[in-house]
Amino acid sequence: MPRITPEDLKKIKEQARRTSILREGKGRAKIIVHMGTCGIAAGARKIMNALLKIIEEKQVEDVILTTSGCAGLCSREPMATVEVKGMPPVKYVDLTEKKIEEIFDKHVQEGKIVREYALGVGSEKTE
Amino acid sequence: MPFRAEVLICMGTSCIENNSFEIRESIKGELKKHNLTEEIRLVSTGCFGFCDAGPIILVQPDGVFYQGVKEKDVPFLVEEHFLKGRPVKKLMYTPPKEKIPIPTLPEIPFFRQQVLIALRNRGLIDPEKITDYIARDGYAALAKVLSTMKPEEVIREIKSSGLRGRGGGGFPTGIKWESCRQAGERRKEKRYVICNADEGDPGAYMDRTIMESDPHSVLEGMIIGAYAVGAHEGYVYIRKEYPIALDRLNTALEQAREYGLLGKNIFEQGFDFDIEVHRGAGAFVCGESTALMASLEGKAGVPRAKYIHTVEYGLWNKPSCLNNVETWSNIPVIINRGAKWFTSIGTGDVSRSPWGGSKGTKVFSLTGKVNNTGLVEVPMGITLRDIIFKIGGGIKKGKKFKMVQTGGPSGGFLPEELLDLPVDFDSLTNVGSMMGSGGMVVGDEDTCMVDMAEFFISFLVTESCGKCVPCREGLKRMKEILERISNGEGKEEDIGLLEEIAFTLQYGALCGLGKSAANPVLTAIKYFRDEFEAHIRDKKCPAGVCKELIEYGIDPEKCTGCTLCARKCPVNAISGELKQIHVIDISKCIKCGICYQVCNFNAVFKK
Amino acid sequence: MIEIEIDGKKIGAIEGETVLRAAKRLGIKIPTLCYHEAVSPSGACRLCSVEVQEGNRNKVVTACLYPVRPGLVVKTDTERIKKLRKGIMELLLARSSTSETIRELANEMGAQGGKFLEDKNKCILCGLCIRVCDEIVEAHAISFVGRGIEKKVATPFIEISDACIGCGGCAYVCPTGAITIEGEFIKLEDNIFGKLNEFRKKDTGETMKEILKIDSEGQ
Repeated sequence: MPRITPEDLKKIKEQARRTSILREGKGRAKIIVHMGTCGIAAGARKIMNALLKIIEEKQVEDVILTTSGCAGLCSREPMATVEVKGMPPVKYVDLTEKKIEEIFDKHVQEGKIVREYALGVGSEKTE
Repeated sequence: MPFRAEVLICMGTSCIENNSFEIRESIKGELKKHNLTEEIRLVSTGCFGFCDAGPIILVQPDGVFYQGVKEKDVPFLVEEHFLKGRPVKKLMYTPPKEKIPIPTLPEIPFFRQQVLIALRNRGLIDPEKITDYIARDGYAALAKVLSTMKPEEVIREIKSSGLRGRGGGGFPTGIKWESCRQAGERRKEKRYVICNADEGDPGAYMDRTIMESDPHSVLEGMIIGAYAVGAHEGYVYIRKEYPIALDRLNTALEQAREYGLLGKNIFEQGFDFDIEVHRGAGAFVCGESTALMASLEGKAGVPRAKYIHTVEYGLWNKPSCLNNVETWSNIPVIINRGAKWFTSIGTGDVSRSPWGGSKGTKVFSLTGKVNNTGLVEVPMGITLRDIIFKIGGGIKKGKKFKMVQTGGPSGGFLPEELLDLPVDFDSLTNVGSMMGSGGMVVGDEDTCMVDMAEFFISFLVTESCGKCVPCREGLKRMKEILERISNGEGKEEDIGLLEEIAFTLQYGALCGLGKSAANPVLTAIKYFRDEFEAHIRDKKCPAGVCKELIEYGIDPEKCTGCTLCARKCPVNAISGELKQIHVIDISKCIKCGICYQVCNFNAVFKK
Repeated sequence: MIEIEIDGKKIGAIEGETVLRAAKRLGIKIPTLCYHEAVSPSGACRLCSVEVQEGNRNKVVTACLYPVRPGLVVKTDTERIKKLRKGIMELLLARSSTSETIRELANEMGAQGGKFLEDKNKCILCGLCIRVCDEIVEAHAISFVGRGIEKKVATPFIEISDACIGCGGCAYVCPTGAITIEGEFIKLEDNIFGKLNEFRKKDTGETMKEILKIDSEGQ
């Protein structure tokens, strides 16, 4: 490992940024893929994998991907909730890999809720 | 595939004792089994502080906090949480007497009131990876100091922050650095910086945790301090009994050297400094600054008079700056966030002098009869009551609070009436105790104050260096007297005698160990005199601890004749047939207390 | 010269000297036990404790080690000091109940026996013997071993020492007579340090007296 200068410190910090956001649970946006038994049966894992692929390809660092158990509405699985800071949380239902890609680009990256895919738009903002 | 979650597993000494190594291996295996190794990263971190709840696992970014994890829980945990997305409720923290668990760390009462400065990286870094430390602003303060600040500026900043020594002495750090630098310049001598990692107070493990969990924070502090006082050599004196901390420290030193953060031309800014680690050999007295330096020099760890300060004539008679582990770990944060920010936390007013207040936070090891034992960092000025009841969760098993012991063997016992005292350098000293290095032991109605006083005096008797008469002879006699009182052979004049010896110690002892040695006894007598008198006059131990003074008996109205106690009694002192009332033969009873512990009907009593 | 005050009397003291030395010049007697002019001070017995005032701080320090400073005010015989000396002697009496020196000194301080269980250690661990061996004759044959109440003065491995030059200086300087010369053996209670050398076998201790006196004058 070569000796570092003060400038190098900043570089190392930048490189570790994605890990920091993940580890400290901070992020600009959070996507919760619901993975109850029904969700998994309906294909929630495929949705999860699609998201992981997008994040890797697009080198996204400030979006957190997490899971939760069954959200209750088993007939509309696979489901995911998108929480972007400063915007109300949105539940998306009947997901496919194509739909989640669109939701990612439009809602997560551009801040435009994709109402056709949404079940409902929450009334509170995520702090 | 980027990681979508991290499993942070605590690798502090306490959790390791409870198999966190094995749990880690098990998690690795389960993740592999379910093909999750590309998505979920396993990270070993240092101590989370909530040691009563160990082994601890934190899942991020979910923020789910798992406690009391056992190896056999792992397969279920991995499958439920990571595959099925269902965090496992039964492994979450549930406050005593409640039914609903609290899933996330920040909501758990133990963590809620804590303010982390020295422990800022708690649970967030792998202590064996310097890049983790750098990602959390590590070494940024050093960069700032070396490239933009003069040594005098650094000293000024630390002085105005009001930072005072965290090892118990509470001496203003900035003033110490200034004196050291001035002495070195006046005499044109080389200077040393030293880290006191001897942490000897029984039950205290603040420094151990900082070194195990965040060794770089101490190193960065020392390098900054060395630059400020003009030292090029530093030492860490670490007690022999901390092997894991030693390992982590050595790993950190190696990595720092690789990165050019220690050694010649640090950060390519022209400053040379390196650190050597020296292990102690099992002497509490070596935590005393002059004894520590004698030991570093290869001599016996015996203190000397401090009429000439060690900042003037210290290690090898050169100006030396000795600071505690926790003090060093505060330095980078003060440089990064500024002295002004630091003074916004804590008590008092340090605008004229650092002696005017207690600024910043303090790490305490909260142990004893509280529900949530562990390591906590709180702002100075928080009350004892808040620490014990809000963070500590109150007394175990619903018993009644009796006393809190602060400051280790140099501190004293404080009763319930004083619980609303703020915890800082001066408030506790005014009532006979001291904040000390941060040890806090809580006692309940089953704690005997004579027994506690005897414990601390016995400890000091074995640890006294033996040089001066008051400490060597005085503590020995105090122990004799306390033993007699505990055995029912106390005499009327004993309390007076203890107070006389205390006087000789306070004014006659050579070093801090001796001078403060009588504090436990004096506070025990001051606040719990009735207990001493009960032992002496009535030959009774109200808390039911002193063996010679208690008698075990079986309440005939509660005894169900289950025969459990009779079977467990190691000396066959209990007689009784099945379903018949049992009786203890006092003449055979050795007062081991096993019958008292095993009875399921509360039929065995102590009197 | 710097001006200090001891028990109300102003005197000129030499920079770098101790309160004890300055007091001696004034003829003010401060009791000592582990102090000897010929060797470095130790501060172990605490008997020479005095009260000093610097600015508005009052503290108790040992005169044998405390350096004089301009404006220093010293009090050698306050109630607190008297009580302290009495307390120290009570503890030493209990340790060395059979020592004449200790009994006499205790008497002077108003200390009475019987407060604690009595032991019969003649050695009070003052360390004078070690300092003579280290600093005057530089034989380094004896040292403190052990810690706390287990502390003793001994030779390495508690065996008769090769390094001992048999000068008997330790026996000469011992304030309580704990170190004795029996025949040719120099002993501390039951442990033999070494054998008297040929010269000293004929000498009655006059040489030792001379050595210690010369050194203290030379300082």
